[in-house]
Amino acid sequence: MASHGVPRVSGTATSDKSVAAKEKEQRQIAEYKGLEKDVIDRITGKDVSNDTFQATSRLLQQNPEYHTIWNYRRILLQDVFSRELASGNSAVINTQADEAHNGDAQAASKAGLTLAQQEISLLMSEDLAFLIPLLEQYPKCYWIWNHRAWLLAKATELLPTRTASQRWRGELALVSKMLVLDSRNFHAWSYRRSTVEQIELLEGKSLAEDEFAYTTKMVNTNLSNFSAWHNRGQLLPRLLHERQATDEERKTTFDAELELITRALYTDPYDQSLWFYHQYLMSTLVVSSSSDANGDARRTNILAAPISHVTSIAYLEQEIASIEDMLDGAEDCKYIYQALLEYSQRLQELADGSTDIVEPSKMATWLDEVRKLDPLREGRWLDLAVSLKL
Amino acid sequence: METLEGTEWDVVIVGTDLPRSLLALSLSRSGKRVLHIDRNEYYGGDEAALSLSEAEAWATRYAGNGSLDEVVTFSHARIETSEAACDVKLSQSRAYSLALAPQIVYTQSKLLPALVSSRTHGQLEFQAVGSWFVLQPGSDAGSASSLVRVPSGREDIFQDQSFDLRAKRSLMKFLRFVGNFEEQAEIWQDDAERPFPDFLQQRFGLPQSLHAALLSLTLAATPAAETPTSYALPRIARHLRSIGLFGPGFGAVIPKWGGLAEIAQVACRAGAVGGAVYVLNRGIDHIDNAEGDPFRLKLSGGEQVLAHWLVGTADNLLTKAPTPPHVGPGLTKSVSIIATPLPKLFPVTAEGGVTPAGALIAMPGTTPGDPPVYIMAHSADAGECPSTQCVLYASIALPFEEGQGRLRAAIAAVLSSIDGKMVPAPLWTMQYHQHDLGETAKASHPHCIVLPPMSLDNALADVVLEDVRQAWRQITGEDEAKFLRFDPREGMED
Repeated sequence: MASHGVPRVSGTATSDKSVAAKEKEQRQIAEYKGLEKDVIDRITGKDVSNDTFQATSRLLQQNPEYHTIWNYRRILLQDVFSRELASGNSAVINTQADEAHNGDAQAASKAGLTLAQQEISLLMSEDLAFLIPLLEQYPKCYWIWNHRAWLLAKATELLPTRTASQRWRGELALVSKMLVLDSRNFHAWSYRRSTVEQIELLEGKSLAEDEFAYTTKMVNTNLSNFSAWHNRGQLLPRLLHERQATDEERKTTFDAELELITRALYTDPYDQSLWFYHQYLMSTLVVSSSSDANGDARRTNILAAPISHVTSIAYLEQEIASIEDMLDGAEDCKYIYQALLEYSQRLQELADGSTDIVEPSKMATWLDEVRKLDPLREGRWLDLAVSLKL
Repeated sequence: METLEGTEWDVVIVGTDLPRSLLALSLSRSGKRVLHIDRNEYYGGDEAALSLSEAEAWATRYAGNGSLDEVVTFSHARIETSEAACDVKLSQSRAYSLALAPQIVYTQSKLLPALVSSRTHGQLEFQAVGSWFVLQPGSDAGSASSLVRVPSGREDIFQDQSFDLRAKRSLMKFLRFVGNFEEQAEIWQDDAERPFPDFLQQRFGLPQSLHAALLSLTLAATPAAETPTSYALPRIARHLRSIGLFGPGFGAVIPKWGGLAEIAQVACRAGAVGGAVYVLNRGIDHIDNAEGDPFRLKLSGGEQVLAHWLVGTADNLLTKAPTPPHVGPGLTKSVSIIATPLPKLFPVTAEGGVTPAGALIAMPGTTPGDPPVYIMAHSADAGECPSTQCVLYASIALPFEEGQGRLRAAIAAVLSSIDGKMVPAPLWTMQYHQHDLGETAKASHPHCIVLPPMSLDNALADVVLEDVRQAWRQITGEDEAKFLRFDPREGMED
């Protein structure tokens, strides 16, 4: 993705603009300010007409970050929704609109909606369509995602379950498309999670397996996907719980995840997202007592609870050995040394009291390497040395 | 105008192959009076796209074995059709547009932005070249070869189960190095002239099994043992840097409807819109006055015309073209129409990516001294054949006698490696030999420009555009920044 790791340059950063360009810019600024004034005036005047709605559309197309206008747009929409619901399907219609109205009524009943719901649904569709080009242009604007979420929440609230559920499925497809455009957009990932949650509520079934497979697909496309690895980690304990996995199956899954991430780390130890996932896997090895076997532990554990001292130590030793192997050919990778130091520290704490499992001289060497590779964080390494008692 | 007799031109361009067509394009807004002629009755010259009947005529014309005292570009052309009974038959002639120049264009290539800035890209459709394969011989003597995908990046390496963790690590290290090899001269300068496989083995500990894959990314026609590191590295870098530029999963494109011929056609069309006059079936028979200013030309139709500038190849310009100092083995090439679409060659290579219309297969030589075979596969989406078929273009850097058997064997190996199903022999195959006559002398007169023809490289080289730019500058004297930069014409959407 071209935009990751590249500093954003403001469109107006160039100071050496020609006179013509500057004049054009002044005109554009004046136009914008005029539009803004118009909208603000309407808001202050509590003008809830359709004209105001159109004006907010024009303003938001130019500046989608203007969240106050989004707020007012929602007030306008809410107002229309309320009026629709209040009017119901009664209402005296004039003869000219009768034909059209009957057509609407037919369409509504066909979709299993009341006329009011049909109107609301149409308005929502229009607004969602309005958002799409904005979203493609500004995929990281909080307010666009928020407004979408609000519209969908309204759908859940005001429309029949089946209709709402269809709309949420549509959102899932949209978010998948946005993730193709930029697989690391955390807005999209967060929206995906809430979408999945809603679909699960409305349809009454779990999507954990599908979502897990989706994360596999995403990391296969791009290893450096912090969000995909994160989502995977979120799903894993829940997945195992839903599968009602036995202790054996849990161990198999855990080992398979370790194997996967080790393979990825061998391919590219310089990628921080991979180390985060490795840390996550190791963090689930918190030693617990049998009383934790229910509740919280079930939601965060991969391996079957209770996790014994022996198991934790065994895994830590195994991983430390594996990571030491990774040094071969990647001696300049600071993440490897950092991982070694972190896990060694945990090992020491666990084995507290017994003989030194990891030689301090080895740890000292690793710390020296980190110092050399990352001299700007000298203060942090000094602190680390103190906490490791090196 | 009724006749060319007695007309006077600012520029006469001889030949409508790609370099000359790009020159016509570059002159299309200059207001110069341009006459663009071609001895053939089709556009594209050496890069033309041929229907079946055009190919038959072409093959008859170039069937000769090349005379002893003259090196010609094309020779040894012949066509074979399969007698094997099968449900799929050849379609009518016009259903095919077979490319003499199926070169791929890397997305990094300077030609593509030039097509955009000259407002011609809208008339062209480009399709992705997706997968790269190496054809590995079967493990036993009798077993079929297998197509192995070449990893083109970190994720490919991650997923590939065929090599171990050490090999993955070494390969990643090499790819990272290639990413900015220009700034790490100390790693490869000493090995610059040594064979590339040696460099891979010794500097990166890459086992022999991985050499073929990396060599395939260079598209080097020379045998592995004769491919120096200094040649291989920039080409691999170009490949890797091109991936993802136009979309996920591919780094090179092919023009639809018949390869580079289509670009030549569009360029000529733009030339004509700019006022140039196009005449096919015309060449230059004689230049009456070598001292020029203007040149008095006798065309093959008998007309006498005047030209202030003359642009052509050494072949059709210089009265006595000197034999190029060194002519290598050239390329033995073949075009094969296959009766099935071979979808296994054209999988979508990235999540949400395009369906490619091109694929590349490299078959390494049996020994390091043997040159490799390259096969460019074009699906029906490339617009060169009906939708139930596909086209395989093969080439090898050998003289015809040795090369033709190798190509035949390579095509057969590819077909048998695809899924074990019985794939019939090619419906139609044209084989021929092509020499690179690029080594040219300069004409003695400053207004006579010899533009070299395209090289035999499997990928379009940027030097083509460079040569055209130089010629354009000589003729117009304009600032380089204006080369192929046009405003949209009035009334035309961009």
